Amino acid sequence: MRFPSRLLAANLFFAGMVWAAFYVVTTLITVAIAVFGTLTHSVWEGATQVPRWFALFVGVAMIREFLPLYIAHGQTRRQFGAQAAVTIALYAPALSALLVLGYLLETLLYNVAGWPQELARAHLFASPTDVPLVFLEYLVEFLAWIVAGTFMAAAFYRWQGGGLLSIPPGVGLILLGEAAIGTELQLPFIQIPLDVTSTPAVLTALAGGIGCFLLGLAMTWSIIRDVPLRNRLA
Amino acid sequence: MNVEVRDLRVDYGEVRAVDGMTFSLDEGKIYGLLGRNGSGKTTLMSVLAGFRRESGGTVRVGGRPVFENGKVTSEICLIRDAGETIDIDKVDDALYFAEWLRPRWDAAYADELLERFGLRRKMSVKAMSKGQRSALGVVVGLAGRSPLTMFDESYLGMDAPSRYAFYDALLADFMAHSRTIILSTHLIEEYSSLFEEVMIIDRGRLVVQEESQTLLSRGTAVTGPADRVEEFTAGLTVLNTRRLGPTASAMVYGDLDEARRRKARETGLELGPIAMQDLFVHLTEPSGDAARAVPSEDASADRSGDTR
Repeated sequence: MRFPSRLLAANLFFAGMVWAAFYVVTTLITVAIAVFGTLTHSVWEGATQVPRWFALFVGVAMIREFLPLYIAHGQTRRQFGAQAAVTIALYAPALSALLVLGYLLETLLYNVAGWPQELARAHLFASPTDVPLVFLEYLVEFLAWIVAGTFMAAAFYRWQGGGLLSIPPGVGLILLGEAAIGTELQLPFIQIPLDVTSTPAVLTALAGGIGCFLLGLAMTWSIIRDVPLRNRLA
Repeated sequence: MNVEVRDLRVDYGEVRAVDGMTFSLDEGKIYGLLGRNGSGKTTLMSVLAGFRRESGGTVRVGGRPVFENGKVTSEICLIRDAGETIDIDKVDDALYFAEWLRPRWDAAYADELLERFGLRRKMSVKAMSKGQRSALGVVVGLAGRSPLTMFDESYLGMDAPSRYAFYDALLADFMAHSRTIILSTHLIEEYSSLFEEVMIIDRGRLVVQEESQTLLSRGTAVTGPADRVEEFTAGLTVLNTRRLGPTASAMVYGDLDEARRRKARETGLELGPIAMQDLFVHLTEPSGDAARAVPSEDASADRSGDTR
């Protein structure tokens, strides 16, 4: 199999640009809170609720944009599936590394300014500088959210309105990923404490993340393996 | 690449879009694929390109099955109005992936075509006009140099100078890099000079497949006094008759031998050619079965699918 260099590069380039803009906005909010209010917690921690939605839409774009592009350029669904899987497997760690970088830059800023960088939620990590565990937590989360995006997008691409039926299993994939890191699922207006295990072992979290990733890929593949290209996108 | 299709069927649920089509296409020719809206043109080409799986029958390109066969599909290019190959951020991005995924991509030629169609690499595809999107599809289709290249109404939204630029580029590149090209179009008269062979399909069935000159030679306009026209055309396949006062003009489908032509001249009738578009309209007349318009020997050949 050919290494998906361009698919990965295109997605990483876009993620890098989005991260830079996101970091600037978050830092401005941090400074604004410090100047006009009282800064007691890590703002970056709260901001990391957003990138997983970005990860979900990366999964959606993988199917909606790149699947038709690949097939129309004479690649098979199998070739696309393999390249997409490798891309996601490398993209999720890169995205996680960007979040780690955000925490480290925030730590630097808070130290210089003398602000307390407390964490408001339960995590695999106790401190934002605990790089391996910060990396692992977001890696598992991104793997789950990206494959949930590919699965639901595949269902909508194939069955259009019938794709609504893919939402419960898609959310199930996300819950599985969140359960693997034992935190809580925060959706807009909804906060679900999962409490599957209060402090999962590193191997448990990693196995849960990889399992979720493989399950999501298998579920997506079952839909796209012979999907016809639609004549028009809605 | 040659194409062999046998008893092809494609169903969309209860609807049969392609119904038992059988034909073969030789390597290194430009084919015109003509059909009314909903006749099955896009579906047929989608199956030929591996965009969808056939419901029945067999499709072979270069002697091998197509669906999920990377060795074959990498040599096939279908440019559709849906814009799968260009629906990405910028022109540059579309070319970035085309260059990477198309084994025969000619980047220098792509740049030359961009200039010819007035496109720039930094243009946003989503902000482009319909004609510019079509032109970008043409760039991707031609610069891909696929041995089987298909354009499905790739002129949509293009102005006349751009369409002529497309025809010129297509013909010049075909002469330099011979391949099998299928053009699906509703602009029959504009395209007809490009076609070496024509396939007409109607309601999912192949109606005619012939060399375009042969097809054109089968149609004759017989003009003269109405009674003599009626007498002359008795027993022939008349596609359409128009009357203006005492004069009538009948479109006849089928070969007229020299004896008949002589008879026409002796009785003061004028014989003239029929435009391909007129032949197409009448051969796919929705009021009746298209196959009925085809002379009996051709119709029997159509049923077997071997019309050549």
